[in-house]
Amino acid sequence: MIRSYQWMLFCLIALVLAFYPYIFGPYYTNVLVNFGIFALYGVSFNLLLGYTGLLSLGHAMYFGTGGYTAALALTHIEGCPLLFALLLGFIASIAVALILCPIVARVGGAAFSMLHLAFGMLMHILALKLRSITGGEDGIGGFPIPSLSIPGIVSIDMTDPVNFFYFAVIVIGGSLWLTWFFTKTPFGQIVISVRDNAKRVDYMGFKVTQSKAVVYTFAAGFAGIAGAVYAMFQDLISADGALGIQNSFQAILITMVGGTGSFFGPLWGSAIFTFIEEMTIRYFEHVELVMGLLLITVIMFFPKGFSGGLQALKNKWWTRRQGTQRRRISNEYP
Amino acid sequence: MDATTAMYVTQGIHGLAYGMVLFLVASGLTLIFGMMGILNIAHAAFFMLSAYFAYQTVDWTGSFWLALLFAPIVTGLFGVFVERFFLRKVHALGHTAELILTVGFMLVIMEAVKIFWGTESLYVSVPPMLKGLVDMGGMDYPIYRFFIIALTVVVLLFLAFILYKTRLGMVVRAAVSDAEMVNALGINVPLLFMFVFGVGSWLAGLAGVTVAPILSVFPGLADQMGMDSFIVVIVGGFGSLGGAFLVAMICGLMSSFGVQFFSSLAPVLMFVFMAVVLAFKPTGFFGERES
Repeated sequence: MIRSYQWMLFCLIALVLAFYPYIFGPYYTNVLVNFGIFALYGVSFNLLLGYTGLLSLGHAMYFGTGGYTAALALTHIEGCPLLFALLLGFIASIAVALILCPIVARVGGAAFSMLHLAFGMLMHILALKLRSITGGEDGIGGFPIPSLSIPGIVSIDMTDPVNFFYFAVIVIGGSLWLTWFFTKTPFGQIVISVRDNAKRVDYMGFKVTQSKAVVYTFAAGFAGIAGAVYAMFQDLISADGALGIQNSFQAILITMVGGTGSFFGPLWGSAIFTFIEEMTIRYFEHVELVMGLLLITVIMFFPKGFSGGLQALKNKWWTRRQGTQRRRISNEYP
Repeated sequence: MDATTAMYVTQGIHGLAYGMVLFLVASGLTLIFGMMGILNIAHAAFFMLSAYFAYQTVDWTGSFWLALLFAPIVTGLFGVFVERFFLRKVHALGHTAELILTVGFMLVIMEAVKIFWGTESLYVSVPPMLKGLVDMGGMDYPIYRFFIIALTVVVLLFLAFILYKTRLGMVVRAAVSDAEMVNALGINVPLLFMFVFGVGSWLAGLAGVTVAPILSVFPGLADQMGMDSFIVVIVGGFGSLGGAFLVAMICGLMSSFGVQFFSSLAPVLMFVFMAVVLAFKPTGFFGERES
């Protein structure tokens, strides 16, 4: 029963997405693409925070690496296909993660967080200083967005927002599915047990440090994809926007507000975040103040985030229909 | 004294002064970490907030000395407020939640400062007594930097006296090494932690006031100091005051000589130093635990 219900939900979402640009118009199409990019970014961050228990304060460096690589590829490589630029962004982020792995996978807790804060700042400074490559504060913009073409069969113009919307939906949806699949594999289960009790996993013969390194690299790669799509979507990538510390905190915010406990938490978080940004930016220029207050409120009063709240509601609703269970639970929590 | 020696001496004193200020900020951070296992991301924001308080006090009263007295105290009280009413409540949720809470406070302080004081640089003038240069065998050096070094040394000696020679200091050190056990011995550790958090914020505040006349007060003030103090705490080893002091001095000298020799890549130098140390010793110089 659950399975058919899931299929129905999936078909419904696919149907809504297919007709979305024609119903809501170009402005809200762009809002949805933005939501999707940050949802993927949040999910990749949650792979670390929610599944491995590692809090990275510099996740933006992978978002930025992916974005800058895609932008550089599209600028400098003559006739670079769109998908190839996307792939390069993915690979570059993974390469950076592999370089940092020997240092960061060995530490945990606060040292991990602080190291990422430092490396994130380092990338930001490098992007600002290496002006000849990255364009300094201005970033890279106005690069050509090539058509998505299969030679001899079809060529789709990607500068059209509606076409780009479908492209983004497929790329982001595919990436989300891959990450979801990843968490369901036996390896994904080991990663969760590393979070809960690393010592015991070590005794059982699994390699803790290497497991952390693999999931770390994986998360970095998908943040890179989010960054690459972001660069193509905006036709611009800038140091402050993509690599700045605010962007790292944005990942934390999205994940915490949505809820770290579930895979789909960051999707809710991204939706709430996009909604609040849309609402506040028209009346109030200090969006970060609102975000900070929101973060404090969530931590203080709703530590499980939005999806945690949904789960609680669902439990309540479910038990109301089954009287015996409700009585048992109400005995436990008077 | 020839020009090369003069350059070395000048940059050396520069680095020493910066290292001292850095240690003022980092000592609070490392003590708080030792007791509670969290790094206060908002610590550098407290530092900046205090610089703004100092500007406001000077603006109202015209006296730098009043600012030096009151701004750090107000910052310390703000730290106590944050600890008592926010941090303590999320303690049960674990270190990650506490860390994220301090991130929230950092965001709020950074933006609130822009709302109250605007984004442009504000200037605090050096008090008349400390204006001017001191003659050191043929080269001139501003008195104010010597004042910073002297003030920091006095404050740190006083702190070291409390920490190593009094009963209170003994309890604090014991709580840093094992908070649970100290709690079990009947000492009110939450109260003690609130006190240490307040003193740590006060130290950051003091640093904020002392650098206000040389760096001017602007919203980006926290960035550089925040990064450097985090690096000091990580490389020195979490919870180790001696390590923090050593690394603060190294960082201070490295940044002043780095600007002299590499100019544009000076900020990168510090990160390379940290990466090299951590690659060989993940706990830092004097650190015993990992997180």
